Amino acid sequence: MIHRLIYPCEQAAKLSSRAMEQALTMPERVRLRLHLMMCERCTNFSRQIEFLRRASRKIPEVLENDAD
Amino acid sequence: MAKYLGARFARCHETGITTRSISTMAEDDDLAQSLETHRKYLQRYAQFHLRDPSLAEDAVQDTLVAALSQRDRFQGRSQLRTWLTGILKHKVIDLMRSRDRALPPDAFSLDQDNNSAEGAFDAGGNWVDPPADWGKPDAALEASQFWRVYQECCQRMSRRDALVYSMREVMGLSSEEICKKIEITTTNLHVILFRARQSLRTCISKNWFGTQHD
Repeated sequence: MIHRLIYPCEQAAKLSSRAMEQALTMPERVRLRLHLMMCERCTNFSRQIEFLRRASRKIPEVLENDAD
Repeated sequence: MAKYLGARFARCHETGITTRSISTMAEDDDLAQSLETHRKYLQRYAQFHLRDPSLAEDAVQDTLVAALSQRDRFQGRSQLRTWLTGILKHKVIDLMRSRDRALPPDAFSLDQDNNSAEGAFDAGGNWVDPPADWGKPDAALEASQFWRVYQECCQRMSRRDALVYSMREVMGLSSEEICKKIEITTTNLHVILFRARQSLRTCISKNWFGTQHD
C-alpha cells in the first residue's frame, strides 16, 4: 500500500516541474504532496525550480540595469 | 541604425508624405529618436537569447523597422520599451528557429525513453546527486556575479532547450503559445522544461550555492 503512495523521486520531480505548467489532477496533487512531506530532496528541488522561475523573470530588469 | 532609419524616412518623404502634416512628421522624428534610446537595451536582450552579436543586430533592426511601420498601433498604451520588447521577442524566436532549421533534423530529436535529464536519477528513480538546501536563495538576485553564473549555466543547455526555457521563463510566453509557435507537443514541452530546469539547477547549485562568493 505504502509503495503505491510513495513513488520514486524522479516522478515527483517531474510532477513538480509540470505543476508549474498546468494544474495537476487531484490524485497527482495528493501524491506529490505526500512525497514532498516525506522527502527533503524533492522539496529542495521544488523550491529551487520555483526560485529559478523568479530569477528568470527578472532577466529583463537585469539587462535594463546593465552598464553599457 | 539612425542612418538607416533616416534613409527610410527620406524614402517616405519622396513617396507622397507631403500630404501629411508637419506635426506628424515631427512625431515620426520623435519616435525615431525614442527608438534609438532603447536600441542598446534591445541589443542586450537579443544578444542574451541569440548569443550572436550580428544576429542580435538583425533582430533589433527588424524590430525597429517593424515598430516604425506599425507606429499607429502604439498609442502609448504601454511603455515604449515593453512594446518594442514584445516585437523583439518574436523576431528573436523566428531567427533562432530559422538558424536551427539549418541543423540536421535529428539534432533536436527527443528520446522519450531516455529523458531523465542526463543521469540525474538511477534506475530506481532515486537522485544520483540529491538537491541540497539553498537556504534563502533570493539574496543572490542582488548579486551581479550571480547573473554571470546564470548566463553561463544557460549556455550549457542545448540551444533548443535554452530557447524553450527562455520563451517560457524569461519571455513569459504561455505553454500553449510555445507549443504552437515551435510546433511541439505539450509532452515534449514538459520534457524539455524539466530537463532545462534540472540542468540549470545543477549548474547553479555547483557554481553559486555550493561555493564561497562575495
